[in-house]
Amino acid sequence: MIEIKNLVKEYNGIRAVDNLCLNIDGGEIYGLLGPNGAGKSTTILMLTGLIMPTSGECLIDGTEVSKNPIEVKKKIGYMPEDVGFYSNLSAYENLEYFARLYGIPEKELQDRTDELLKQVGLYGVEKTVGGYSKGMRQRLGIAKAQLNDPSIIILDEPTANLDPQGVADYRSIIKQIAKLDKTVLVSSHILSEISKVSTKIGILQKGRLIREGTWEELSSDIENKDLPEIRINVETKVPMPQFNHPEIISADYKNDDKTAAIVAKSDIRDEISGILYKNNVILKNLSLDATTLEDAILTYYSEEVPEL
Amino acid sequence: MKSNGLIVISKKEFRDHIKSKKFLIIFSIIMIATITGMVGGAVDYNKQIQNYAEQMAVSEDTSMFSSYWWTKPSVMTIFNNVGTIVASLGAILGIAMGFDLITREKESKSLKILLSHPIYRDEVINGKAIGGTFALILALIITFVISMALLLIFSIVPDITEVQYILLFGISAFLMIFSYFAISLFMSTVAENSGNALIYTLIIFIVLTGLFPMLISGSIITVLAGDAPEPPDTLIMRSYSTAYVSASVTVSDSGEISEKSESDPYDTEEWRNYEEESMKYWQKRQAISDFFNLLSPTNNFQYISSYLTYPQMYKNMYISNSIFVEDGADEPEKTSIFDVLGDLMKNIIALIAFPIVFFGLAYVKFMRMDVR
Ligand SMILES: Nc1ncnc2c1ncn2[C@@H]1O[C@H](COP(=O)(O)OP(=O)(O)OP(=O)(O)O)[C@@H](O)[C@H]1O
Ligand SMILES: [Mg+2]
Repeated sequence: MIEIKNLVKEYNGIRAVDNLCLNIDGGEIYGLLGPNGAGKSTTILMLTGLIMPTSGECLIDGTEVSKNPIEVKKKIGYMPEDVGFYSNLSAYENLEYFARLYGIPEKELQDRTDELLKQVGLYGVEKTVGGYSKGMRQRLGIAKAQLNDPSIIILDEPTANLDPQGVADYRSIIKQIAKLDKTVLVSSHILSEISKVSTKIGILQKGRLIREGTWEELSSDIENKDLPEIRINVETKVPMPQFNHPEIISADYKNDDKTAAIVAKSDIRDEISGILYKNNVILKNLSLDATTLEDAILTYYSEEVPEL
Repeated sequence: MKSNGLIVISKKEFRDHIKSKKFLIIFSIIMIATITGMVGGAVDYNKQIQNYAEQMAVSEDTSMFSSYWWTKPSVMTIFNNVGTIVASLGAILGIAMGFDLITREKESKSLKILLSHPIYRDEVINGKAIGGTFALILALIITFVISMALLLIFSIVPDITEVQYILLFGISAFLMIFSYFAISLFMSTVAENSGNALIYTLIIFIVLTGLFPMLISGSIITVLAGDAPEPPDTLIMRSYSTAYVSASVTVSDSGEISEKSESDPYDTEEWRNYEEESMKYWQKRQAISDFFNLLSPTNNFQYISSYLTYPQMYKNMYISNSIFVEDGADEPEKTSIFDVLGDLMKNIIALIAFPIVFFGLAYVKFMRMDVR
């Protein structure tokens, strides 16, 4: 369980984190969303005991981080943003070293390390980490964050450098972790990365938490707002008819007319489903494009930061 | 309750050092230089020993002069032969080992992940110091063993005093190299990247090895100490030089020192005043020069190395500096290790203080460092 109470971090008088209050329950997968410079990493660094807050406190399972960092670090698995390892050592040797720092017994160490390397697809990679791509380092970071079998996992921008396959792997890893009833905190500035796995999302803006809720709650916030452009994805079982609606700006049909990417002036999902129904076309998926939503949410909230 | 971080980190650091290319390359160069230097030195030494034996056989009559110049050559001459090389290459080894220890962690972004483990921050910096220390000790032990083997190959068997000298030489070499390791480790905590850390360390190295010797020998010391006192007008310069330097210190056959005051004309109040002032002046000059020497680990090590090679000579120099030593003070044939330690105490303390100070600075800086 993570509790953040009136947390403040100032750099040269400027507040990177501004009176932040946040509670994350056990077993939750919490997505911390915010644009660059919002204070996500600063918050996480204070949570992991790597920097001291200017004021306020962070509690991990009731233990105050700044008072007892060693106890807290035992419970946390952390992957920093822009994660780096010892370039002269292999993935296995890196994890082996960290496992020893955690005091994992030598006889468990190899099995544990191998298992995690298999999970992130780096098992048997002999070369030293110096020769890794950023994405490979990030995969190793995700393995490292689970090394001590922590009850709380904190990942700072875990998908930043991953390719689509890497992102898919990452999501399945998070889902596996979620089954183990661990608490996960993931930060990102990309909503789609967070929306698919999080049970709760917090939006951070200028060091403050401006909105918190489930994915459904957040998307309903903007559903009825006037947005310049809406992207709608349609997927059907049989070929669909060409839509003809005044709100549609463009429509791109693919896959024998069984999928379509529609750009419209407003959210016309109801109209689309009506047309399909009339034409006896069975609908598989009708959704707003996540990138659109993310843009929408972020523009929406960046314009309306409530002054405290 | 301490974590097991210190041991784990020290081990890793040690392994990193002995596997690193720069360490292996510089250490190999030191080994090659030591071996060639020692072989040359051993050949010379054996020649000197032969000459000495011949001389002893020829002149059983023991004139003071001959016994002064024909003291048995010390095994240390062989070591002194390599001392200069060890001083500069050793300093480079120390610098190479330390300058990127912290900056590399920052550059590879591993510092944040390292510090997110349940370890204390000081375990990281202490572990780095311990790992480096053990790598250095290993290097020195290997060098020592090979040196001893070389001596035996040339059938040179050092006596117990000489073994003690050799050990002191080795410890001083270690402390000297360790000093540069500590300086570069400190720079690594201060500098923003490895390149800068190396540049800063090299600047300090050049100041300590190049600038200080210049200060010691140059006119700067005269500026600091002022001008030498003028001899009384009544006396001519020629007498000044002979009388002042008191070149008449000799070691007699039994090892006794006699100092002959050859001159009644100088037995005046005026002259004695001058003599005293002059003494004070040269002592002050010596003190300044000694001080600069102490500040440079390299010079300090070289001083110790020369002292161990010619302890008698240094003893005599010391005596001639303080003219007022009673006549006939005993000067044993072999200067015992305790006498040597007594004389070199200042130098050894300085060599120990140097790494302690810089390591302390590195420690403080690292503990306060921002991890971002
Ligand atoms: N060491 C520092 N000195 C001064 N200001 C800093 C420092 N570290 C961070 N900041 C400032 O704090 C604010 C928050 O930074 P932070 O890295 O937490 O943002 P973020 O949400 O993680 O952004 P990103 O998505 O780019 O990672 C920024 O305005 C940044 O400029
Ligand atoms: Mg960040």
